[in-house]
Amino acid sequence: MTNNGAVTPHNRRRWSRKNFWLTTMVLPGAIWLLLIRYLPMLGVVIAFKNYKAQKPNTFWNNLIKSEWVGLKNFQFLKSPSTVTMIRNTLAYNAVWIALGLVIAVLFAVMMSELKNRFMAKAYQTMMFFPYFLSWVVASYFVLAFLDPTSGMIPSIQKSLGYKPTQFYMTTTWWPLILTISNLWKNVGYSSVLYLAAITGIDTTLYEAAAVDGATKVQQVWHVTLPGIRSMIVILLIMAVGRIFNADFGLFYNVPQNSGPLYPVTQVIDTYVYNTYANTHNLGMSAAAGLLQSVVGCLCIVATNAIVRKIDADSSLF
Amino acid sequence: MQKAERRSAGLNTFGPGAQAVFHLVLGLFALLCILPFLFVIIISFTSEDSIRQIGYSFMPLSWATQAYSYVFALGNALWRSYFNSFLITVVGTLLSVSICVLYSYPLYRRDYKYRGFFNFLSFFTMIFGGGLVPTFVVCKTLLGLSDNYAALIVPLLFSPFNVIVMRTFFQTTVPGELIEAATIDGAGEYRTLLQVVLPVVKPGIATIALLNALAFWNEWFLSLLYITKNMDVIPLQYLLMRMQRNADFLAKNAGMLGADAAKAAQNLPSQSLKMALVVFIVVPIACAYPFFQRYVVAGLTVGSVKG
Amino acid sequence: MKKLFALILALVMIMTAASVAMAEDLPTITIMFHGSNVTDDTAVLEAVNAYIADKVGAKLEVVWGTWGDFDEKATNALLSGDSGVDMVFTCSWSSDEYNTYAKNGYFVKLDDLIAEYGADLVAAIPESLMQAATIEGAEGMGIYAVNGFKDTATQNTWDVNVTLLNELGYTLDDFRAMSFYDFGELFQKAKEVKGDAFYPFLIEPMVLERMVTGSIIVAGDSGSTNLLSLYLNQDDVSAEGPYGNVLLNKFGTEEYKKFVEKMHEYYEAGYIDPSLAVAETSNDTRTNAQKTGEYLIGTQSYAFGYEYSPDVLSRGIEVAFVPCTDPYVDTTASQGAMMAISTASEHPVESFKFLALLNSDPTLMTLMNYGVEGVHYTLNADGLVEFTDERANYSPWTNGMGNVTMLPDTASEGAGFRESFKAYYAGAKGIPSLGFVFNNESVANEMAALGTVAAQYALALDAGAIDPEAALPEFLAALDAAGMQTYLDAANEQLTAYMAAK
Repeated sequence: MTNNGAVTPHNRRRWSRKNFWLTTMVLPGAIWLLLIRYLPMLGVVIAFKNYKAQKPNTFWNNLIKSEWVGLKNFQFLKSPSTVTMIRNTLAYNAVWIALGLVIAVLFAVMMSELKNRFMAKAYQTMMFFPYFLSWVVASYFVLAFLDPTSGMIPSIQKSLGYKPTQFYMTTTWWPLILTISNLWKNVGYSSVLYLAAITGIDTTLYEAAAVDGATKVQQVWHVTLPGIRSMIVILLIMAVGRIFNADFGLFYNVPQNSGPLYPVTQVIDTYVYNTYANTHNLGMSAAAGLLQSVVGCLCIVATNAIVRKIDADSSLF
Repeated sequence: MQKAERRSAGLNTFGPGAQAVFHLVLGLFALLCILPFLFVIIISFTSEDSIRQIGYSFMPLSWATQAYSYVFALGNALWRSYFNSFLITVVGTLLSVSICVLYSYPLYRRDYKYRGFFNFLSFFTMIFGGGLVPTFVVCKTLLGLSDNYAALIVPLLFSPFNVIVMRTFFQTTVPGELIEAATIDGAGEYRTLLQVVLPVVKPGIATIALLNALAFWNEWFLSLLYITKNMDVIPLQYLLMRMQRNADFLAKNAGMLGADAAKAAQNLPSQSLKMALVVFIVVPIACAYPFFQRYVVAGLTVGSVKG
Repeated sequence: MKKLFALILALVMIMTAASVAMAEDLPTITIMFHGSNVTDDTAVLEAVNAYIADKVGAKLEVVWGTWGDFDEKATNALLSGDSGVDMVFTCSWSSDEYNTYAKNGYFVKLDDLIAEYGADLVAAIPESLMQAATIEGAEGMGIYAVNGFKDTATQNTWDVNVTLLNELGYTLDDFRAMSFYDFGELFQKAKEVKGDAFYPFLIEPMVLERMVTGSIIVAGDSGSTNLLSLYLNQDDVSAEGPYGNVLLNKFGTEEYKKFVEKMHEYYEAGYIDPSLAVAETSNDTRTNAQKTGEYLIGTQSYAFGYEYSPDVLSRGIEVAFVPCTDPYVDTTASQGAMMAISTASEHPVESFKFLALLNSDPTLMTLMNYGVEGVHYTLNADGLVEFTDERANYSPWTNGMGNVTMLPDTASEGAGFRESFKAYYAGAKGIPSLGFVFNNESVANEMAALGTVAAQYALALDAGAIDPEAALPEFLAALDAAGMQTYLDAANEQLTAYMAAK
């Protein structure tokens, strides 16, 4: 697209000086990463150990001296719930990535095309609101509709003479409820990212397209979408990288951790949480985390490879 | 702003029919988005009796400002934590935006020699992490992040996600010629970044500033981990989460704790109090949002090279 | 010039460091409590530190863990080998579970310290509590925590709204003669009188299950949802139950089947608030209804004197607690609140001296628990404790601190309360398998899987919200698939060995 800062090699000395100064820019972040992200990664070995306090009881000493147990900590995967939770995690994520992308881009385009700029801003502000509220608070909102005793829907059903639906006991509606909750919370946020990207598109491109006689729809298709392609692809790749991770609050708080809903609400993160609450096994949760990372890594590499085949410029690395 | 007006005035736009549909779709969704917030406000003004009798409702049986008097009765703890929230958010956002811009700018520069390495260094941490306990050990014993403001800021200073977003902004909005021209003019790297590049990527900066500010404002888990004795530094969000978690814990362990749990549960704050605190938490960030938004949506000076 | 400056700076720093060290020659020990509601501890700590300086030879600092954050804070400190926490609350139900953490080497074995510095402590708390704390830890059989002397027996009771009961034309004696399976007529009448939106049966489903079937919690069993049952002898708790000393699949017995069938009947008849069947809303609903007396019969795990506590007195109804069995001492109850010393502590001796003093010295316990006299409480004419408004800023969890039998009586409890309290629990009998703790290490994976399965069905079944005819066989099949038999066999093998050794 653009020739990003490619400087012709007319002065070699400038090159090394340039690299020096640019490196000083990276340094604060790099130091932070090394200390707060990379150093603790040594702790990954916990996934393969039976972590216990040793003598003397300091963390690093415990880490080194604890006994190796190989893949024992990964055996939680043998549980019959494994298939359900992996299926749920993957299926919800896949659907939501696709839906979220389409709707967020659609909303961003619509907002950018509104003639009434005031309303466009108002919509955008309002759409961002769910992002301020935590899932705990959002779960009260859902509860207000579904609560078996005083919820709005069961109350209406009762007043109409129907038997009220026991929402927290029946799985039927939950894939839909969770999907709506997820979109409600995240669409505003990602459409802001897309909208910011759209405002960055060179307006002369639209003028040129208009001169060529392109309709508005064609302009969106040929100018707007290509203009935000990198943003779409990047967000997509990152979402795919987290396909094995689920939004804990959504799956835990919103269904009120109700047992009978587990077949459609149990995801890897809630399973690990509940398991840890039962067993307090550090090794097991470390193993689960490592597994999520490895799968996420594979997914990212695969998606990135596909993206690179299609459009090398947009790929992440 | 300028650009948006130029586009809607000068170029062909979607017809009135399409505009109406847009308004309908966006308007409905936007309404759905603020409804829960209105709901929270209503609950915060609902009397306890009404909650007990009909639960949460958009139309409570009776109103009360009791919850707010409780909140104000928290007195010093409330204002202190409110102040802390602001302090942490402002300092944290300034620092993290600076670090993020400084980190992502060289990653956008194709002629930077270590681009690939630092790109990977940041990206890798999005997928792999050391886990809670090892991070805790490093932060607490090695870096001394305990019972101080730094403990609530430092662990959140850098976000690989924001780096990627920012880098993408650089790529889509800053043409290479701009840098080239500045270099030929003899500007140093920092001057190029500050005077030539930054003005162009304002929307990007506003966006990540917003994301960072939200992250700091909503953070409570760091307080739980790193603040043990010095409760003078905790933010408002933690005050709220602590109440929530107390209630959750007692709910889970009522059977084990027996009468003790029942006694403790009697002292828990009411739902309306929690909602009143939510209002306290959401209002400032919701008010700050339009300021960020001004930059996000406002036109930017693309093509400053072309003059 | 620069060098000189650096030198001076270094000297100044060394001197400040030295002077600080001089002033603080007493080591600081830190204790972490559970369930506190403390916002200002300055006055108390000042008094405590003046009091313990000679006796303990250390300065105390406190981490006031709250209900919600204690688990995270304590496990983090212990797992990370944090020397900043010397003493930590532990018990059979917290995240830093006593038996597991002692076994994994996080707690100091106290036997030598007790022998050297613990004479007063041994004299102050009953022998049975010492025995309950004696377990197989990282350093072999021994005591790994100081056991708090509190309500050390379990007793589940029916929480009866006597006012309403009388209104319905029954007396408390009529109720005492009834069993769970006869409650239907009461509930029906209550519904007729109070209207359709009234839910007479206010329950903690899991507790109710234990009350009706007579099963108890087995220490070491899966935490949030128990899988194992040991059936009590409900007439004489110290005798063997109907199945002997055998652990059973909680959900596989005839008793359980009969119980959930009846519950479903009650639920379908509208006697139970459906919110009680949902994990996260259950307790809120129950607390709210209890507060206002909007129930007929509830469940309550009872502690001596609970009927005189303000929250019962303020319900606006006459309340009676009708016990299902005599109070019984099991492992879970006898390890209900303890204080351990972390192996990462740099001051184990001072820490132990402090714990010993806290559990044997009424002055220190009162100071730590009730605060400073004249500030947090005053003594009335009868010498009873009356709390001031300042108490709101300093309310630790009374029972989580240690030997609470030394505390003075409060005005609301009345004179002689602590004496009767002690007598009540001294008379409690131990169950035959008292002291048994299931070591689940070999079946940790099964336990994880089983826990999830149980969480899916147990609460809803116990509350009667789902039809056992379809759900129970499905549940049992899922448990079997998750390795219930392996889990059960491991538990029974250990219990048999334990009973043989005992």
